[in-house]
Amino acid sequence: MKRILLLRGAELIVFALLATIPLLVVNPYALGLLTLLAIYGILLIGLDVTVGYLGQVNLAHVAFLGLGAYTAGLVVTKLGMGMVPALLAATLVGLVLGGLLALPALRLEGPQFALATLSFAALSTTALNELEALTGGAQGLSLSRPPILGHALTPPLFYWLCMVLLAVVWMLMRNLLASQWGRAFEALRDSPIATDAMGVGTYKHKVLAFALGSSLGGLAGGLYAFNFQYLQPQSFTYDLMIILLLGVVLGGRKSLWGAFVGATVIVLLPNLLSNRLLFQIFSGLGFAGALAAGVRGLVKKNTRPFQALAPVVGMGLLVVGGLFVENTEDWRKAIFALMLFSVVVGLPEGIMGFLALFLAKLFRVPHAPLPEPADLDTMLPIRTADGSALLVLDDLKRYFGGVKAVDGLSMTVRAGTIHGLIGPNGSGKSTVVNVISGLYTPTAGTMQLRGVALPIGSLYSVAQAGVARTFQNLQLFGELTALENVLVALKGVYRNPLPMVLLGLARREESTAQAQALALLELIGLREQALVKAKDLTYGAQRFLEIARALARKPDLLILDEPAAGLAHPDVLQQIEFIQRIHQRGITIILIEHHMDVVSELCDTVTVLDGGRIIAEGTPDEVKRHPKVVEAYLGQPPQPELPGGAEPLPA
Amino acid sequence: MNAAIIGQMAVSGALMGLVYALIAYGFQLTFATSKSINFGQGELVMISAFFSLTLTNLGFPYWAMVPGGLLFGALMGLVVERGGVRLALEQKSEGWILLSIIIGLFFFSAAENIWGRDDRPFPTPISADPIHILGVDITRLELSVAVGVFAIMGLIELFKRRTLLGKAFEAVSADRDAAELMGISSTRTVMLSYGLSGSVAALAGILVSPITTVGPTMASALILKAFSVAVVAGLDSGFGVVLVGMFLGVLESLASFYLGSGWREAPGLILLILALALRPNGVFGKATIRKV
Repeated sequence: MKRILLLRGAELIVFALLATIPLLVVNPYALGLLTLLAIYGILLIGLDVTVGYLGQVNLAHVAFLGLGAYTAGLVVTKLGMGMVPALLAATLVGLVLGGLLALPALRLEGPQFALATLSFAALSTTALNELEALTGGAQGLSLSRPPILGHALTPPLFYWLCMVLLAVVWMLMRNLLASQWGRAFEALRDSPIATDAMGVGTYKHKVLAFALGSSLGGLAGGLYAFNFQYLQPQSFTYDLMIILLLGVVLGGRKSLWGAFVGATVIVLLPNLLSNRLLFQIFSGLGFAGALAAGVRGLVKKNTRPFQALAPVVGMGLLVVGGLFVENTEDWRKAIFALMLFSVVVGLPEGIMGFLALFLAKLFRVPHAPLPEPADLDTMLPIRTADGSALLVLDDLKRYFGGVKAVDGLSMTVRAGTIHGLIGPNGSGKSTVVNVISGLYTPTAGTMQLRGVALPIGSLYSVAQAGVARTFQNLQLFGELTALENVLVALKGVYRNPLPMVLLGLARREESTAQAQALALLELIGLREQALVKAKDLTYGAQRFLEIARALARKPDLLILDEPAAGLAHPDVLQQIEFIQRIHQRGITIILIEHHMDVVSELCDTVTVLDGGRIIAEGTPDEVKRHPKVVEAYLGQPPQPELPGGAEPLPA
Repeated sequence: MNAAIIGQMAVSGALMGLVYALIAYGFQLTFATSKSINFGQGELVMISAFFSLTLTNLGFPYWAMVPGGLLFGALMGLVVERGGVRLALEQKSEGWILLSIIIGLFFFSAAENIWGRDDRPFPTPISADPIHILGVDITRLELSVAVGVFAIMGLIELFKRRTLLGKAFEAVSADRDAAELMGISSTRTVMLSYGLSGSVAALAGILVSPITTVGPTMASALILKAFSVAVVAGLDSGFGVVLVGMFLGVLESLASFYLGSGWREAPGLILLILALALRPNGVFGKATIRKV
């Protein structure tokens, strides 16, 4: 509670101060800067969604600013409509075009995504320049600020409008990012595969996040148009994009406050560059900061030498350059470059990331208390196992080029059993799991879950159909806590639609969800570590957490891909116990495992694969004695001596 | 509209396309070893062209200026690798995208202040008089572009196939971890690829400057199209970039003729977004299999 009060209090104070400024100060220049601050604030909050939460380098945001600005301008000048429809149209254009760009672009990762957004930005500049009949081309577009409800918008009124919009955007985004949606955004940055496999549509969330961010770009563009009342295509180019990235990175990613700080920096930059003394003071401060942090990092040996020294060199160049260069304005791009370089290398979490750590140490605010765990029997009722066929695979094949990884597999998994899938390395176990769970499309064959065809080739659809899986190579959401990892996957609690979430009317669900997630963590003995980041858990705990997360899907079928791999012996025993507990709830399990003791202990039926084909099936004991299994694991048995020492006949 | 004009435009478009292909080839070199590319490659093209111009103005003959320019390009490529790429690769993050943009921005600003903001002619001993071939006019200058592009790509491919160092390069491209286990330093190989890529960018600058003039913004349009070519062809497509580059060159010279010169950039960008939507790994690229 104290934490919430502190955060909300800080927000209230800042916005109240910002709102009263026009009453106290009548300096039109300062008011202009503050208006710009509000506009850039909205813009950067939008950019932070893709750059911070999705973790993608988005170079198209400036295009949405431009497209929004022109949309608002055209709605006013060509259609003669008022400011409200103009701003709505600008937001809508950002939303729709953002969605359209995201549809193809977000199937890509990393550099290709950055390139696609860069091309979109270049294309939109071309269009604004060339559609002269509409936009006036390079001549630009002039517009005036239409009155709202009959009131002419004086500069202070317009400023208040921008601030109110910033506050609204701030609240909506805060609600969104603190919700299940925001968690999903972060999860898919850490592991898109796991996000899909947990039934959270990666692609859907990415497109939505990008479209939302872009719509804020459009809204900021609309305000930009009414602020400057004159638009030119060359205002919205790559140069401005780099400044915007500077704002987000310098301010601090994944933080509304970071966007606000970044916007402040961007607004003040031109003044900083035009005043020599101010520039020297700030570059000197930057240099001192980089030096102190660098030396500290080197002494404590927790930073790499490059990371400690590069910012010092960068800021040092800025200081030395400031002494020699006649006109800092000429070198503004180099100055941006050096600042950005130093921040990206030396302060990757940005100013707010750094401050947040610092403040957390200063105030030591405890996390809000967690609810009591929910009753496991109500959230995950024990199912009666009737032994009917749950999953039926028929003549399943998956070839990679000439390699027949799975070659005609037919297998039936009965409800309520633990079905082991074993085989030597390269026998096709993992491929089978990947085909069932939808990561791979089968080359041939059918799969049925309770008599209904299982969706193929889509992790997401298979997860929706009631199959959950864990991963041999852990795919946890490392930056999220153990609790959050489970919450992301949790099924059947979050029902409120997006608008309710945005308005903050969906909070009650959150405590129900937390209670359920805690119950699952308790089941696998991690309740005490609920608030530890997944990447900071021990290896064994991470393996257990994978299972809790999969269980949050409340699945009909749970696939455990080598859950004991790499575990120390005590952890293996622990793991066996956890799997038994899950089995007692009537959940059907497919267990891929190398540890024979685990298999013998747990499995009702075991299928043995070799070379993509079944070589044996039966109870663990039957399978262990099967000659083909022995051969597959231990090699060809020695030929028995023929009686009488006779030579074998030549073939 | 007669066939001769179309033919003429197709040929000059295709020659320009070879320059895009060459820059795209530079992306492939670094992508192969490190799965990263230099987003400031255009600035490398530009700054190397300026440096070569300075060499020429200092009185260096053409044959001495070209290696000098290539060496400078290689050095700048190494700066990008050390300053922008290595740390991010070590941290397995995508920070290199932002850092290489930043270093490019720095180069841009430095060039603006050292050499000025104006476009300048780039003198060359190669004649610009047209020769008639099959009813199409081609200048020796344009032909020199084609020769230069194929020569350097051929040389680098030979180097990769025939020398031990080149084999190490191929080994790191195929499997970085396995190559490390065999005693090949992947860091050095990535450095090598950035050096080569810088040289390739420098050659592109030297070849194209006599035709387009030298200026700080000379590469900004060029680089967008090179990006398009690299992605449309696929970042691991080998000589696919040559085909796509020439195709794009022809397409855009026709587009600027029919739609107006302002739309020159459009086909490349649209092609890029389409290709990304339909074939994310490129027309000639290989699909990768996701593993978990």
